[in-house]
Amino acid sequence: MDTYLVSVLNGLAMGSLLFAIALGLSLVFGMMDVLNLAHGAVYLSGAYVAVAVVGDGAGMAVFVLAVLVAAATGAILGGALAGLTRATPHHLDQALLTLGVALVIAELLAVGFGNDVHSVAAPAPVDGGVTVFGETYPVYRLLVIAFGMVLAVAVYFLVERSRLGSVIRATVADRVMVSALGINTGRVLVGVFAAGAALAAVGGVLAGPILGAQPGLDEKVLLLALVVVVIGGLGSVRGALLGAVLIGQVQALGTALLPEYASFMIFAAMAVVLVLRPSGLLPDRTAVHA
Amino acid sequence: MGVLSVVLRSRRAATVPALALGALVLSACSGSSLGQSSGGGSGGEIKVGLLVPLSGVYAPLGQDMRNGFQLYLDQHGGKLGGRSVKVVTADEGEGPQTGVPAAQKLVTQDQSSVVVGVVNSATALGLRDFFTESKKPLIVANAGADAITGSGKSEYIWRTSFANGKVGAPLGSAVAKEVDGSVYLIAADYAAGREMVAGFRKTFEAAGGKVAGEKYTPFGKTQDFQPYLSGIRGSGAKAVYGFYAGAEAVSFVKQYKQFGLADKTALYGTGFLTEGGVLDAQGQAAVGVKTSLHYSTEIDTPRNKQFVADYRKAFQKAPTVYTVQAYDAAAVLDKALANTKNSDGTELIKAFAGVGTIDSPRGQWSFDSNHDAQQKYYLREVRSSGGTTVNAVIRELG
Repeated sequence: MDTYLVSVLNGLAMGSLLFAIALGLSLVFGMMDVLNLAHGAVYLSGAYVAVAVVGDGAGMAVFVLAVLVAAATGAILGGALAGLTRATPHHLDQALLTLGVALVIAELLAVGFGNDVHSVAAPAPVDGGVTVFGETYPVYRLLVIAFGMVLAVAVYFLVERSRLGSVIRATVADRVMVSALGINTGRVLVGVFAAGAALAAVGGVLAGPILGAQPGLDEKVLLLALVVVVIGGLGSVRGALLGAVLIGQVQALGTALLPEYASFMIFAAMAVVLVLRPSGLLPDRTAVHA
Repeated sequence: MGVLSVVLRSRRAATVPALALGALVLSACSGSSLGQSSGGGSGGEIKVGLLVPLSGVYAPLGQDMRNGFQLYLDQHGGKLGGRSVKVVTADEGEGPQTGVPAAQKLVTQDQSSVVVGVVNSATALGLRDFFTESKKPLIVANAGADAITGSGKSEYIWRTSFANGKVGAPLGSAVAKEVDGSVYLIAADYAAGREMVAGFRKTFEAAGGKVAGEKYTPFGKTQDFQPYLSGIRGSGAKAVYGFYAGAEAVSFVKQYKQFGLADKTALYGTGFLTEGGVLDAQGQAAVGVKTSLHYSTEIDTPRNKQFVADYRKAFQKAPTVYTVQAYDAAAVLDKALANTKNSDGTELIKAFAGVGTIDSPRGQWSFDSNHDAQQKYYLREVRSSGGTTVNAVIRELG
């Protein structure tokens, strides 16, 4: 039984990371109607920032610096992607465009960092393990769970309770009316895109000590994020959270309980959701709610 | 190209453009010289096709192999068996869909007399009929499937690397003696993983070892090993034997340490678990892992020390087992071409049969009757040395 509790814990850690990564993808799709296939590449950029800044081991200050550098990198990439995709209103064009950008970014990263597998050490003070349910568990993963909780609460307050959040929601609901009030809606949309990309890049740093960085990781992460978005429902913060936690648990518990079907489980979960609730568990097509 | 598979799986609408893109990418990868000189005939220049992955997940291995082959050429004035060599390189990619056409191009279009390389076993097996029918020799310098020199052997296919089953086998009896208790077997779920485990299990059980459990994890899809590690803990095993390579090897060894198993349960494996760039990424987490392999940079012979020094000088990094396998392929060609004036395929394979013992950095080895490398295996242990980690050689395995 304890073994399964550890798996649940581990699923929460993966869920926290997936939430940070999928949130941007979901909001951008839901609010701007842009499918950003370069999202995984933005994540990988963050992971390589961690490789470059943190590397084989560093203190907490350096790790926080890596998070900030990654956030800035992600925001710049997101802003650029927002500009690019605004010129192409069609989904297929956007998909091809962002896919092309993803290939370019991935290739540049491979040129810069080589094709080798890189790993990132957890910051020194939390590098060890603690005993949880009778098993050794890495402290760093517990911190990742805490980060996921803080992020969920922060995003809730930002989108649902703040003035900025109400502007964002209003922009999605009626863009013309908001601009008539004297608000630059283009800037709001670029800001959301940049913030989503920044979160993905930060996710890359935070996932560094768990998943490392190597060519091809961007696609695996993008695939998982897409599954989370499909399960949760487009453009919904709550949906992204629910989807991320669900996929985290399916991955962790599924592997523990039914190892033979592990790699197939998340897609089975997605298929079940699509059959029962085709628009996702917590869809949000008309307005944004946290 | 994996990005495309994401699209294929997730968005059916994008399939056609994605395929078109894929075709473009593929055609861009395979460009190289279009030389017209003839491959056969006697004396003069000989053309060698080098088929190694330069893109995709195996690219680091391909780089090491290309460097190894180049080092041998540079050490011998660009000549093999007294004849000047023109090397034509093609990108093997990740699997047979890219590797097989690339090999066919090397032979038919570039007129290579012999092809060296091949990392992926499926590619090597897929090329068997092509090389046999076109009567050109293929020197496999990595791909480890047992069948390549077993059930699928061909007189035109020779291997300077290893067979999967033979890498694990010598470790089996050693672990049975060293470990007081049962051993858990875990590997990536594909042919190589199963062959590496089967080879180990056979000698391990023959020597009286007890298996605590056996698990195969989805190949290339497993990033988080926690559920499996909990399973190992629950089995009460005293040690673990594992096979992973590349990114999975890094994740497995690091998580094995992070989840506290490394301190209580010894980890054994085939050498690929801690080889080359993988070991660099694992860092201190790999210390204490014991593996079997036919090479280590730490082999204490003048031959190897010289080789490591030369390689470091040329490429500013340590060689790997992949380097040595390609280096030895060049050595085989060197000896064979010295014995025959004719570079016709049928003559070359006769010369291969007569190369005898190769004095390699890994020690002395020779081809067995199945054209596979007959060689020593070493028991290695990862040790920390001056800020980095190395595979120290404990002893030779019987």
